Amino acid sequence: MKFLTTNFLKCSVKACDTSNDNFPLQYDGSTCQLVQDESIEFNPEFLLNLMDRLDWSAILMVASDLGNTSLPQQKPVFNKDNDELSEEDMIILKDFHTLLIQTNIVEGQMKCRNCGHVYYIKNSIPNLLLPPHLA
Amino acid sequence: MLPTPYIKCDYDKVYEPSEDSFLLLDSLEKDLEYLAQKFKNKLALVCEIGPGSGIITTFMIQNHIPTTNNNSVYYAFDINPWALEATLDTVKLNRAKDNDNNNAGSKSSLLEPVQVDLTSSWRSNQIDLLVFNPPYVPSETIPTRPERKEELDTWVDLALEGGKDGMEITNRVLAQLDTILTPNGIAYILFCARNKPEEIIKSMKENGYSNWNIELVKNRKAGWEVLSVYRFSRC
Repeated sequence: MKFLTTNFLKCSVKACDTSNDNFPLQYDGSTCQLVQDESIEFNPEFLLNLMDRLDWSAILMVASDLGNTSLPQQKPVFNKDNDELSEEDMIILKDFHTLLIQTNIVEGQMKCRNCGHVYYIKNSIPNLLLPPHLA
Repeated sequence: MLPTPYIKCDYDKVYEPSEDSFLLLDSLEKDLEYLAQKFKNKLALVCEIGPGSGIITTFMIQNHIPTTNNNSVYYAFDINPWALEATLDTVKLNRAKDNDNNNAGSKSSLLEPVQVDLTSSWRSNQIDLLVFNPPYVPSETIPTRPERKEELDTWVDLALEGGKDGMEITNRVLAQLDTILTPNGIAYILFCARNKPEEIIKSMKENGYSNWNIELVKNRKAGWEVLSVYRFSRC
């Protein structure tokens, strides 16, 4: 699954919804196997729109779980009034393309920071199903 | 008329595309203009619950529904692991065919499968376009999720059987629509006549959904069933 998807997955346990710790999930850096998928073309307009949608603190937390602590503390702001993005903006967007779209977690595990339930990623597919006694 | 995706799946494992799947394709096609207007060139997070063979998600990817210029991310949510694999395969198969035909449009679309129960593991208010062909056949009970991937019959039953009035699963989604969709979000959901969709919608309107537009997009007689697709959005 793409790094991007970590920005949307929360714990499936309903009781955790009242906690602030059910999102993002905590990714286990030692088991997470990352693979770069370069088949998807860089689309600056798409990235620009996508940035608006991101929960930045969750991006920072998951990146740090996975060993990347080099991201800016604040979400970068882009000047959208201009028709053309500056060269500098393009470089930043390209970096986020690499992080959000090209970085795939193919195997690994993550857990809820509230209840501790562990979820697995296998063959790039995250499994958020709960065992019957928790569902 | 937009082409129907090419499908080659093992129907012992996933639901075979049928009249209901095709009615959803036709509904999305009918609403192409409407959706393009609604989303313009903004980002759209698209989610299909229960994609089965992947026919609908593939159709949306191929035809750039709802945004015209590759500004969508497609999520496939299913509890059935076979359905997620089938969806990946179907998208790949059609992508290869599109490449052969020099229609490179669907080449770089983003498809993400998630094994999950409906939208229970998704951050609130983060889906722009939701498409759901639910298990809508009335049944005594809803089958229990198999423990093993090999219990093929039960996986397929789960795609069909909807409990009382065939509405037990759909009702879970309807009750959550307000927290599933973005403020501008839209859902397309399929019903059969035995689900009593008109009653359901009347009751929704009276219970918290008075500020929603709920409209019939298309209906069709299919054998002894009458199927309909409704569109849900905030006023």
